[in-house]
Amino acid sequence: MYQYDAIDQQLVEERVAQFRDQTRRYLNEELSEQEFLPLRLQNGLYVQRYAPMLRIAIPYGMLSSTQLRKLADISRRYDRAYGHFSTRQNLQLNWPKLEDVPDILAELADVQMHAVQTSGNCIRNTTTDQYAGVISDEVVDPRPYCELIRQWSTFHPEFAFLPRKFKIAVNATESADRAATQVHDIGLHIKKNEAGEIGFKVIVGGGLGRTPMVGVTISEFVPREDLLTYLDAIIRVYNQQGRRDNKYKARIKILVKALGIEEFRRRVDAEWAHLRGSESTVPMSEFERLASFFTEPAYQSLVNQPEVLVSKLADSAGFARWYERNTFEHKQAGYRIVTLTLKKAGQAPGDATAEQMEKAANLADQFSFGELRVSHEQNLVLADVRQDQLIELWEAAKDAGFATPTLGLLTDMICCPGGDFCALANAKSIPIAAQIQDTFSDLDYLYDLGNIDLNISGCMNACGHHHVGNIGILGVDKKGEEFYQVSIGGASGHDASIGKILGPSFAQEEISGVIQKLMQVYVDNRSAEERFIDTFRRVGIAAFKEAAYAKTN
Amino acid sequence: MPKLIKDGAIIDNQYEWQQDPEAVISANSIVSAQKWLAEKDTLGDVAGIWLEAGDGTDILNDVDLNQFDVIGIHFPAFADGRGFSYARLLRERFNYQGEVRALGDFIPDQLGYLLRVGFNGFQFAEEVDLEKALLLHKPFSVAYQGDVADPRPIFLRR
Ligand code: HEM
Ligand code: SF4
Repeated sequence: MYQYDAIDQQLVEERVAQFRDQTRRYLNEELSEQEFLPLRLQNGLYVQRYAPMLRIAIPYGMLSSTQLRKLADISRRYDRAYGHFSTRQNLQLNWPKLEDVPDILAELADVQMHAVQTSGNCIRNTTTDQYAGVISDEVVDPRPYCELIRQWSTFHPEFAFLPRKFKIAVNATESADRAATQVHDIGLHIKKNEAGEIGFKVIVGGGLGRTPMVGVTISEFVPREDLLTYLDAIIRVYNQQGRRDNKYKARIKILVKALGIEEFRRRVDAEWAHLRGSESTVPMSEFERLASFFTEPAYQSLVNQPEVLVSKLADSAGFARWYERNTFEHKQAGYRIVTLTLKKAGQAPGDATAEQMEKAANLADQFSFGELRVSHEQNLVLADVRQDQLIELWEAAKDAGFATPTLGLLTDMICCPGGDFCALANAKSIPIAAQIQDTFSDLDYLYDLGNIDLNISGCMNACGHHHVGNIGILGVDKKGEEFYQVSIGGASGHDASIGKILGPSFAQEEISGVIQKLMQVYVDNRSAEERFIDTFRRVGIAAFKEAAYAKTN
Repeated sequence: MPKLIKDGAIIDNQYEWQQDPEAVISANSIVSAQKWLAEKDTLGDVAGIWLEAGDGTDILNDVDLNQFDVIGIHFPAFADGRGFSYARLLRERFNYQGEVRALGDFIPDQLGYLLRVGFNGFQFAEEVDLEKALLLHKPFSVAYQGDVADPRPIFLRR
């Protein structure tokens, strides 16, 4: 994991001092509400429905157990002893006091953490695959590249006041895109060319919100040493030419769409011609330095499928289920990647109590070299677990509420905080998640349905990524009442697509019934082993629509 | 005239920022770049020109900028960051050596970033306390990226 040196540390400490002074001046009325707004936003501080909300950066999702313990401790002392892991690999605290935020940031700085640029119209926390570094088919470990981007984007002097927020995601595997790169402002796919050189396929102009779009390829291969100058070129064009007259049209996707990718590429290339080869060209020594922080932990030489594991898989259906669903193949023999799910019934998806955070930190120490990752699907991951310790881990995970064996299934949903916390919401989303979890509590049925992404957002802003859920649920407001629009056919991986709206919205109590009907259409139409999304793509929306509205019509 | 921060000091402002297209132009005027381009043959000597957000710097491609003592960049709102790119381009691409002056609705808390992209003159709104603003000059003593003062990113300096 990346370790701060004196320079990184000094920077976060100076940021704390700066924000302390800004907060003091705001509270003394030396800074107006309007002036403080972008300053606090660039430090992850929103003013929300009931209290401020502080979004803490977890760069590319990597956390040490020490950091997670600190987050638990902060949530307990400054908040209500829980936090919310978000789709963007951050942690949100829903109830801090504004006056306390500088102290919280100072405590975070003690463990090499911060809230820099977790919000506001600047380059946000870069995200990546939660299995980075431990899956066998990745081109290279993307994390050193994410760290390079983190540093380049942190306090970038030219790009702190962009037309709109700017999100970059990185993926390095052909078999999956767990970072949803195609729905980011910039998606980067790490590639090797024929000469074996590392570079990036660059996708630009994806994004969700009011105008959801899948990004388009602007370059098939940017050599890695040119990454930063190329990013500078793209964002410089966007900064100058992106729309600023209407915040809904200010994202880069609108500019790319308006110009067309050829013209946009031409402008970026014209800019890049001036920047390429300049001092920001990354030397090999820097790649080596960054990569040295992400070396393999001290793996032992072990065999796959040790005897204890095999016999437990045979005698415990519960364990076998969890193993099948919540653990993932590791590149190192004898190890397994384990997801600790934050999707226990009765708890909002992605929420973790302080006690759970501490337990997860302990599990990381005991079973996974003291490190964890946060996933886009709002779960925690232990990346390096010995297969012969899985049983013990499973018992401990069950005890902490992390072993709901539903990873990737219908009830492993992504869900934004919605009307329970968020001032922008049109409708609540957590009760919808709870309703679906209650309705689909039968594990055999869920397993039979197989992998389905269900994503819920409380409004058009799409924090819950509803557009790219195989099933998406969106809270809408109809004359002051909460309704829900359902879409199907979205996907966020290499086959990214935007879901299609089924039709008129539904009342809250109808939702799980509608999902049941959709599932029935799937079950009736699928060919063996066919995933929901593939059945949908094959048979089209009509049958689903008909079933969903059958009774009400 | 209101005072100005320039090169880290509070000084008297010698130039007049002309926003009104009808204003009388003198050798102390900073006139809009659009106006200057349209009327340069008849305008006579001016201290400098100013760019409106949205103008871009390409309109100056054929102009010898070092004839100006000052180039202003207008921020219609402090969250409008186009001027950050303009200043950097003036310094790095046009190699402009004179004063690059921030005009309009920017705030003291942006000084750190503004300085790094090459601004060295700051004509704040009248109500801004310049002594206090000066204290916000340099929020960070280190930086990851290269900038106008030092183009080397951190990896060339660690
Ligand atoms: C409660 C506080 C929150 C507020 C006020 C908030 C605000 C917003 C707003 C205004 C947008 C729209 C951006 C646009 O249209 O360009 C947005 C998008 C988004 N937010 Fe949130 N959000 C909150 C919580 C969350 C949470 C909890 C998550 C993750 C679970 C999240 C992740 C995202 C994502 C992924 C997007 C969509 C990005 C895209 O357009 O590609 N936000 N949020
Ligand atoms: S989708 Fe809407 S309701 Fe949900 S967190 Fe985002 S802004 Fe709030």
